[in-house]
Amino acid sequence: MSNEMTVAPPPQPAEAPQPAKPGKPASLWSDAWYDLRRNKVFIIGAVLVFLLVLMALFPSLFSHVDAYNPATCNLANARQGVTGAHWFGTDNQGCDTYSRVIYGARVSILVGILTAVITGVVGGGLGLVAGFYGRWVDILLSRVAEIFFAIPAILGALLILSVVGRDNSQKWGVWVVVMALALLAWPLVLRIMRASVISAKNQDYVVAARALGAGSGRIMMRHILPNAIAPVIVTSTLNLGVFISAEAGLSFLGVGIQAPTISWGLMIADARARFLSAPEMLLFPALLLSITVLAFVMLGDAVRDALDPKLR
Amino acid sequence: MRVTNGAKIAAASALLALAVAACGGGSSSPGASGSADTPVRVYISEPQNDLIGGNTGESGGAEVLKALYAGLVDYNDKAEPQLEIAESIEHDATNTNWTIKIKPGYTWSDGTPVTAQNFVDAWNFTANSANAQQLGSYFSIVKGYDALNPADPDEDGPKTAPPATTKTLEGLKVVDDSTFTVELTHPFSGFETALGYSAFFPLPKAAFGADGKLVAAESTSPITNGPFKIAKPYKRGTDQTISVTRNDSFKGGKAKVANIDYKIYTDPETAYNDLLAGNLDVMDTLPASQVANAKATFGNRYIEGPSSGVGWLGFNIKTGGVYATNPELRKAISMSIDRKTITQTVFSGTRTAADDNISPLIPGYRQGACGEACNYDPAAAKQLWESNGGSAVKEVTLSYNADGGHKEWIEAVANNLRTNLGVAVTPKPYEKFAAILDDLGAKKVQGAFRLAWLMDWPLPDDYLRPVFGTGGSSNYVQYSNKQFDELLNKGDAAPTLDEAIKFYQQADDLALKDLAYVPIYFYQLNAAYSQNVKNVKLDPFEALDVLNIEKA
Repeated sequence: MSNEMTVAPPPQPAEAPQPAKPGKPASLWSDAWYDLRRNKVFIIGAVLVFLLVLMALFPSLFSHVDAYNPATCNLANARQGVTGAHWFGTDNQGCDTYSRVIYGARVSILVGILTAVITGVVGGGLGLVAGFYGRWVDILLSRVAEIFFAIPAILGALLILSVVGRDNSQKWGVWVVVMALALLAWPLVLRIMRASVISAKNQDYVVAARALGAGSGRIMMRHILPNAIAPVIVTSTLNLGVFISAEAGLSFLGVGIQAPTISWGLMIADARARFLSAPEMLLFPALLLSITVLAFVMLGDAVRDALDPKLR
Repeated sequence: MRVTNGAKIAAASALLALAVAACGGGSSSPGASGSADTPVRVYISEPQNDLIGGNTGESGGAEVLKALYAGLVDYNDKAEPQLEIAESIEHDATNTNWTIKIKPGYTWSDGTPVTAQNFVDAWNFTANSANAQQLGSYFSIVKGYDALNPADPDEDGPKTAPPATTKTLEGLKVVDDSTFTVELTHPFSGFETALGYSAFFPLPKAAFGADGKLVAAESTSPITNGPFKIAKPYKRGTDQTISVTRNDSFKGGKAKVANIDYKIYTDPETAYNDLLAGNLDVMDTLPASQVANAKATFGNRYIEGPSSGVGWLGFNIKTGGVYATNPELRKAISMSIDRKTITQTVFSGTRTAADDNISPLIPGYRQGACGEACNYDPAAAKQLWESNGGSAVKEVTLSYNADGGHKEWIEAVANNLRTNLGVAVTPKPYEKFAAILDDLGAKKVQGAFRLAWLMDWPLPDDYLRPVFGTGGSSNYVQYSNKQFDELLNKGDAAPTLDEAIKFYQQADDLALKDLAYVPIYFYQLNAAYSQNVKNVKLDPFEALDVLNIEKA
């Protein structure tokens, strides 16, 4: 069956979705969806991700306290520990940790998704061009990618963000962190896309399309891209979790997201010094961070299993 | 001036802090501490300038200078002046003309004797504006200072001050190798007390080149006259340790330890962890977040005591935003800060709410001198803020040095302002204390900023002239009030301390009315030391007593 799949014609968007039953021909996508619906890991991951995205979009659904309103903090209540009024305790400034954890989801999700999309589009696009045209285009793009690839990600991001400085980080919000991470992560996507395109472009249906007179653009977009993109989607989904933890790490070190924006990494940094006397201040944001990364990794794993069983 | 970074600290970047933390374990194993030559490791922040008395106005450098130099007088446990190098300090009936005799036997680390000329040379050098020494303004009381510091014709404008026509202070005269005289511009009864401050330290002949400037070697391995000398050249900005070794020929007493390493940190938390791990021996200012733990962890190796320190919020009153230039808005900001809760919660009770510019340790302190401006009254603050056009203020910036453990209280003040005044507040951290001091000196800090003061000598004028006086070394707020300056001079001239204090207090009242610096809290001393050392004492200036510390 996997043989059939790789030589299957490109999916036709106009076609009515076919029920993917064994024995009947099915597209890669409907087949994957069929697999996913039956995968417990996917269900758990998807539910968690859905909740987190909801939290990022509408934090007020989860907390009646607006964490961005300084009037909700009362310094006299600082580091109170877990109480009925403050489920996760309060922080150094007497702000409610629960509402801050909820409001902190937005930055993490935003950084994760934006970085994944940007690296996917840039790396995927360049990988498609490099793989399809080959020769000097490939050499040029691959060498440039290798230069970036050689820089250790966290170290490189730390350097970029230190150079950009706190003032600019404050001004541009999440974008500075997103661009720093994207700048270092796109070559990975390029490599995967390029390899995938090279294997796809020698398939019979591509030769056939070319013989029928299709131009390069049409072949790339209609025939190669749909058949080569699966590994990129898998990588991007898995990377999402990596980007989220990278953001928390950079914010923890003081170069990422800047206060007063609420970020889990910043919350953990603020709580670090008093971990022994007020552990809840550190544990709750760390717990949410772990759950979020876990959710995206589970989702990515399930998508990989469905789209690219060979990688399992 | 001696400004303090609060939790006296220093390092370089998040990266470096990590590297320091990571390297700490390897650099010296706690087990090796038994050897007599293993250095005692003392925590400091990075000195802002070279290790020269006249150019060191912050607590990090002052800590090291305490070991390297000796002055005319030193201070005892009660901060009373005692003759050190000076054999006698005599003055005429008006306290204007002073004759200083020095003891024989004190030598420089290059072997030459300390002479009267060394003091006069150093003072002339420090007072000369062409040398841009941090503490130059301390010599404004000496006759001839104005000739060495010609006024800038248009203050901050494009024109520059004309070059000085002389290189020496008219009021300084060398009588012989061991005697010199000082003529002051006006009577100053506290002059003898002031003489122990680093601004008045001497410099050896070899420190000066043919052009009258300091030779390059002075910045890395200065020639010194104190109980310790530089063990290996220190490159400021690169080296993370300043190593000093005992000067066995020091006449003022022999130190009990052979070597001291001053370790530079940017994060007090890192230093505290090093102290716990046995990689640091003395930490003189514990981070507020750890004080509660430290009492239990260190037991009798924990030191608590009064401190001469005062913490301020300063405003750039000439070129800052409208909230900094308008005294009513500054007062509104001051009234919206909940000092009591901040000292109790953020500092775990290790600070007290300030109600005067002068520390309670100093004669002349008055409880509640600051009046309503330092009382927490959100409603009145809001009203004052709005009736003076505060609603138009877009954003208040609070600059601070991140290496001093100030983040939490600055955040708390920010929340106070946001909540009580409804204004947007941006805290602006500087990585190093030295960096914010450089920017403050260059008048680049536009809004509000934190600054703290440790006494140079135990008299109230020391809390006023260097900070609020026109041209004062730490007058980063650009405050200038003729009446204030005159009151200080009157206080200096008063025949007794009690009479002097009356004038100083009147000057203090003017400063508290104009609120260029707003007092926030009074410090308390919280220190701890490792099991490797004993007999650890901090002097009233919060520097380690280097003569008496011993290996355990």
